[in-house]
Amino acid sequence: MKFILIDKIVSLEEGKTLTAAKCVSLAEEYLGDHFPTFPVLPGVLLLQGLVESASWLVRKTEGFVHSMILLQEAKNVKYKSFLAPGSRIEYAVQAKTLEENVSSFAGCGIADGEKILEARFGLRHFNLADRGSAMAAVDAQVIEAMKNRYSLLTQQG
Amino acid sequence: MRWIWIDKFVEFESGRRAVSVKNVTMAEEHLHDNIPGFPMMPECLMIEGMAQTGGILVGEARRFQEKVVLAKVSKAVFFDYVVPGDSLRIEARLESITPEAATTSGRITRADQLIAEIDLMFSHVDQNLAGKKFPKDNFVFTGLFTSLLRDIALNHVRPEPQKMESGG
Amino acid sequence: MTMSRDEIFQKVQEVLVDALGVDDDEVTADATLMGDLGAESIDFLDIVFRLEKAFGMKVPREELFPVEGLLNNADLVSNGKLTDKGLAELRTRVPHTDLSEFEKNPDINKLADLFTVNAIVTYVATRLNAA
Repeated sequence: MKFILIDKIVSLEEGKTLTAAKCVSLAEEYLGDHFPTFPVLPGVLLLQGLVESASWLVRKTEGFVHSMILLQEAKNVKYKSFLAPGSRIEYAVQAKTLEENVSSFAGCGIADGEKILEARFGLRHFNLADRGSAMAAVDAQVIEAMKNRYSLLTQQG
Repeated sequence: MRWIWIDKFVEFESGRRAVSVKNVTMAEEHLHDNIPGFPMMPECLMIEGMAQTGGILVGEARRFQEKVVLAKVSKAVFFDYVVPGDSLRIEARLESITPEAATTSGRITRADQLIAEIDLMFSHVDQNLAGKKFPKDNFVFTGLFTSLLRDIALNHVRPEPQKMESGG
Repeated sequence: MTMSRDEIFQKVQEVLVDALGVDDDEVTADATLMGDLGAESIDFLDIVFRLEKAFGMKVPREELFPVEGLLNNADLVSNGKLTDKGLAELRTRVPHTDLSEFEKNPDINKLADLFTVNAIVTYVATRLNAA
């Protein structure tokens, strides 16, 4: 199964903000477990939507120089409502700081005018080769795959 | 992808603390897609592992009468990434519990290395989100959780015996 | 336990930084919990839990956040303002808060502004001194 928690990048201003959208469908397998009689997108996958949004902002802003962009810290992620199949959520992330190896963000997700979650979080950016040059080829491979995924997420239509 | 991010409980002290184990394996499809070309466990799923460990601890403290849902990730800090072959120990402590909500604090370790610190807040939804429509049954503690809960109910989960010091 | 107001403020600040995920410098004495620091219902409970731990005392939620319970009471609120009865009730619930400015126009939307960092510090100081 794919692990991509946004469907589309809607807008991006380098170094500053990005908005992305995700539609929720009952066809997503995990909704069968979460929960059988009350399917809603798990809260941590809402957070993942924000993290992915922010990581694309970092990748694009710094010109895809790092393979690894990972969640380092999340603070005060608050869930205000549930997101059921059939809804579309729009994630908005705003960079508070964006340095070479770390960045911090404020983000929220809104569906149908209702706020679903908000969060503050930080990412770290690095290459696997930083720990050993043998990994440089893996970095290159990951970056190539991420560029392809980025064009998939930004194509119109 | 199913939605269960712990494999078993290894310790369970009602109303106080719980320890679960999550094994990370190459056979988990999503691991290959988070960072394509470098299989690793997404951080958010570690938060969920903690939420399931802590959520069951909170639920059990009220005999599973409440619908316990994640309301807030107060803090989650990650110190290293996790790859296939890793075995995670997820420990949650119950900090506070009232009719409306509960908080837990927790740590995830791999062998002796600290991987994450995660503090969560849970809501008992019937008490807190009046006006929203919920199923009457306890939709949270069903299905997949049953086998984990059975371990607790049958009291199979006891504190682990102290490990012997090993010479090498 | 004897603690100076500064010491109490520092502990309260830590509690709010942890509960609300805000930065130290945002938690000034005059900052309002809802308006400036973004606190809402679930956070109030979190703050109560953390204060109890930090100061080792039981903190009844309605005592720390006495205004929450007033707002849904039709007896006490009329046309978005507190009635005289509501004001009287408020005075008994928040004996430590200066209400003179609020009484001129008791708009319930402004009640949120009464929840300041300072109000928490005062509450804790009063409780510690009484102990």
